[in-house]
Amino acid sequence: MSVAQRHKAETREIAEPLCRLEDLVDGRSRGFDPLGEGRDTMFVVRRGAAVHAWRNHCPHYDRARMAWKKDEFLDPSGERIMCFAHGALFDIASGECVLGPCLGQSLTPVEIELRDGLVRVRGKYAPGFRR
Amino acid sequence: MRIIGPDELIFGVDDLDACRAFLVDYGLDEVDRTEGGASYHALDGTGITIRKRSDPSLPRPLPTASMLRKTIYGVEDQETLEEIAAELGKDRDIIREADGSLSCRDDLDFALGFRVTTRRKLDLPAEMINSPGAKPGRPANVLGANQDAEAKPRTLSHIVYFVPDMERLTKFYIERLKFVITDKFTNTGPFLRPQSNFDHHVLFMIQTPAYMQGLEHLAFHMQGPTELMLAGSRMVKKGYESFWGPGRHKFGSNWFWYFNSPLGTHVEYDADMDLHDGAWTERETPMSAEAAQLFLFENVEKWAPGGPPPGKQG
Repeated sequence: MSVAQRHKAETREIAEPLCRLEDLVDGRSRGFDPLGEGRDTMFVVRRGAAVHAWRNHCPHYDRARMAWKKDEFLDPSGERIMCFAHGALFDIASGECVLGPCLGQSLTPVEIELRDGLVRVRGKYAPGFRR
Repeated sequence: MRIIGPDELIFGVDDLDACRAFLVDYGLDEVDRTEGGASYHALDGTGITIRKRSDPSLPRPLPTASMLRKTIYGVEDQETLEEIAAELGKDRDIIREADGSLSCRDDLDFALGFRVTTRRKLDLPAEMINSPGAKPGRPANVLGANQDAEAKPRTLSHIVYFVPDMERLTKFYIERLKFVITDKFTNTGPFLRPQSNFDHHVLFMIQTPAYMQGLEHLAFHMQGPTELMLAGSRMVKKGYESFWGPGRHKFGSNWFWYFNSPLGTHVEYDADMDLHDGAWTERETPMSAEAAQLFLFENVEKWAPGGPPPGKQG
């Protein structure tokens, strides 16, 4: 990914599926970079047949990145989404902050679709890289 | 009051393995590891201790998401320790621990400790540079670029708290512990240094709602900008999440690179911070992106010139 390519990222529909459902480990999170910006700008959490998808932006700082390492978006119990910038905890299904610096705020959802065993982003997807 | 700066930060965490992996990859040396936790030291012996969140030996946590359980300041000698005990003992309980250190809480309920510092005096070279017009920093045939340089954190530099009442806590550190303000972001918070440290800041505060109270970040000093860049780029390569940087701050002039961490706080590399003494007059400016840094960069993959011109690949 060159710098020139990354800066071309613009809001558009994502034709390619993110992955297959079976690629996602139950109870775990995984980051994605649908526009090829060079960083994961969204992540999903699989719980059984359900997949929850959120933008990789903690609401308490502008575009704050949340994981502590590639694909690590959950607290150690696996029961909450955690922002490893300052420890905020979020409900996995509703995205609501339950403890920490963004209490009363919520994560930004990404609309996804599960069809034919594939996970797809629905509608237009905006870049997430801070520029 | 001859306080030097933070000697040790103690955390209560859920995932010891994740914290251990992060802190070792960050460049600290693991010491005193047991089932219940371990300490991670910079070259001078300052550093971080992690314990299980439920460890009964830890001071009680803040009611927020912060995992910081105690900040222990190093002081020059026993006399200073007694001076602190006498001063803070006027209006709060001071616990004398078995190791001779003092424990109490500050005016916003952060757990504090004080001990005769356990840091070792470092005798290490600075980053050496060559600059036209100046005497060479490196003699002929001594190389500046070393991909394999250890690039280890040298000493615990500073901490930054989210605080619900910065005026009150500033007053506590200034009036009771004789810290000095070097600079200030209006309505955000002051940069503070204790009497026995010339670093621009060992403590900074950011005014926030009460539910945010905790540790915003901690930082260790690196040899210089090159080792800071080297250590940070290694972290990115290992998959850690760069949060802000590399760049260079204006207040303090320190180079910075912040990472997210499983300790639920940012962990920063810093280098080349300004020093100040009593002759300095504090500056004040509103917080803004412009005021927060001289410049800001983002790590990208390595690249080299060469190969066919664009559009002629294959």
